[in-house]
Amino acid sequence: MSNPPLIAIVDDDDAVREALFDLLQVEGLAARTFADGAEFLADEAADGFDCVITDVRMSEVDGLELQRRLRARGSRVPVIFITSSVEESTRGRAVQEGAAAWFNKPVADAALLGALRAALDAPESSER
Amino acid sequence: MTPAPLSVVESDPAAGAGRYGRLLPRLGVTDRYADTTAWWALDISEARPVIAAIAAGAGPADWVDALLAGVRIADIDENNVHLLGPHGGRERMIGQLFTNYCPPESWKTGAEFILAAIADYPPGAPRTREITSLAFSDAWAQVSTDPAYPDIVFVAVGGTVTDDRSLWSVRASEERYRNLFHHLPCALIQVDSRPMRPIFDDLRRKGVTDIARYLEDTPELALHSRDIVQVTDANWSALQLLGAEHVEQLFGPVDFVFAAAPDTARRVITAHFDGRRNLVEIMKLRTLDGRVRDVELSVTYPQPPDRLDVTILGLVDITERLRTEAQLRQLQADYSRAARISMLGELATSIAHEINQPLSAIVTNAETSQRWLSREEPNLTKVQQLTARIADSGRRASNIVQRIRGMAAKRAPERGPMELNEIVEEALLFVRHEIESRAIELSATLAPGLPLVLGDRVQLQQVVVNLLVNAVQAQGNGPGRIELSTAVGADGAVVFTIHDGGPGIAAENLDRIFGSFFTTKDDGIGIGLALCQSIIAAHHGTIAAFNHPKGGAVFEFTLPAVIM
Repeated sequence: MSNPPLIAIVDDDDAVREALFDLLQVEGLAARTFADGAEFLADEAADGFDCVITDVRMSEVDGLELQRRLRARGSRVPVIFITSSVEESTRGRAVQEGAAAWFNKPVADAALLGALRAALDAPESSER
Repeated sequence: MTPAPLSVVESDPAAGAGRYGRLLPRLGVTDRYADTTAWWALDISEARPVIAAIAAGAGPADWVDALLAGVRIADIDENNVHLLGPHGGRERMIGQLFTNYCPPESWKTGAEFILAAIADYPPGAPRTREITSLAFSDAWAQVSTDPAYPDIVFVAVGGTVTDDRSLWSVRASEERYRNLFHHLPCALIQVDSRPMRPIFDDLRRKGVTDIARYLEDTPELALHSRDIVQVTDANWSALQLLGAEHVEQLFGPVDFVFAAAPDTARRVITAHFDGRRNLVEIMKLRTLDGRVRDVELSVTYPQPPDRLDVTILGLVDITERLRTEAQLRQLQADYSRAARISMLGELATSIAHEINQPLSAIVTNAETSQRWLSREEPNLTKVQQLTARIADSGRRASNIVQRIRGMAAKRAPERGPMELNEIVEEALLFVRHEIESRAIELSATLAPGLPLVLGDRVQLQQVVVNLLVNAVQAQGNGPGRIELSTAVGADGAVVFTIHDGGPGIAAENLDRIFGSFFTTKDDGIGIGLALCQSIIAAHHGTIAAFNHPKGGAVFEFTLPAVIM
């Protein structure tokens, strides 16, 4: 785990992205924001993040697809989903595919920060 | 040649109108000449003073007019009625002035005859004279009196009928006209607008060309015209429409027809002055018993060879039709609104998602602000920044709500000039989430500088949203494509086109796709496209659907550009 932790925030809504960034900031956590999954995956530092907070419904690469692609290239970065989507099936799949947490918008700050700390403190599983 | 004078028969006080009852032979007398002799029985009692004055050599300069001003029709036979045309028939003519019915070129002869018959002035004046007549060759006129009726002068006009058939055909034609006029189920009013001619001639001499303007500047002219143009006949339908029991109630100035429509009266005068053949317009008509009806007025102005004293006004009561049309418009508006609300229902998930974004930002920003404020040294600058963002997000959510309210509102359609591109962009806001969540690639080519269109904003948004939703739903859950564009069409009209990457329209559905209750969706009701067509038609545009050669369906509507 790199010191200090760096979080990736992926959401197509400007206001939501900025708000999450500022929440992490008041708690002393550094973050970078991305407007969609493709932009994040294309970034060369994608594998260097300590946690990804992402929305589900986005154009092109959605949240679930983002998690799959990360896993496919061997990344064990924890992914936290914050979404407006209420579909149980989507949540089920996300969790099955290894989601660290799943929240519905609007997310309570304490809950998000709690899940974030848990994900950052979890021991990294070894690479296959 | 002179025929044997007919003896006056059948003085029948009980029959017919007028003081004298029937003085003249009825049609059907077998004498050949009787069939083609036209009779007048003229009451000269009011003219006696003038006659006496003339006989004494002290008559006025305009003695013909002065004399005839006192001569009234006491009776008239059917032949004459036919020849002079029916002014409501014999009953109408009795009691009227002789000059109302006798052609002006014969007035002098008539006056001379009366002088000869009553006062034998000038002494030895002939009682029989050759005259010129349209109906007869070798025409003659004869005056006679009967001691039993000292105030009556009988005038007979006859001759060889130039063309037996033409006389009969004129008679038959007049008879047909009379029948048609009286029995047509449309209300007809006959007026005599000849008094307008000298007025128009005078105006033209004065150089007036813009009669409409003149009428505005000189309101007395219209009022005067309505007073001097007289109703001379009306049919049964007209009586019904106007709530009159007897046609006599309608005789006199035509003014009452335009009592509730003075603007129409001015336009009727204008069309007459301008030499038009017809005028048709919708106006309000006040009946004799005070009700107001909406009627369609059609005026047919006489032109030679028509009789110039016959102007026909047709009146069709369209009150019910207008009421039904208004109800229909209201129904369409209600229907349209129901469809919009239904559409909003379909988009509910999208709408919820859209509103949830700003709400989410508001909650997170508020919580972050609280964390800043709970520090030992609160970072007020940061809080200020976050508070500003909260306000922005709040406003954004409010805009979304307003847009939805606008779509769902109950309102009368408004018309105004608008940019179709703006409407397309607003419609896209409604379906943006639907498109993005399905990974549909959207390309919008909106031509800049489009001419404005005249329309109702919400209804046009409804059409575009409907077409967009259809395009989205045609492509299921997989990735897809929607191309939309606006452009100027061939005749300057504004064109909107949307092409989807779906399976296209089945050939058998192409010509009924805009029909009511047509749908290919399991849960579809089938009012969307029918309503789109209805809205576009109400905007004087057209809408069409076809399959793109490269696949997918294309929907296209055009709207006329408004000339500003």
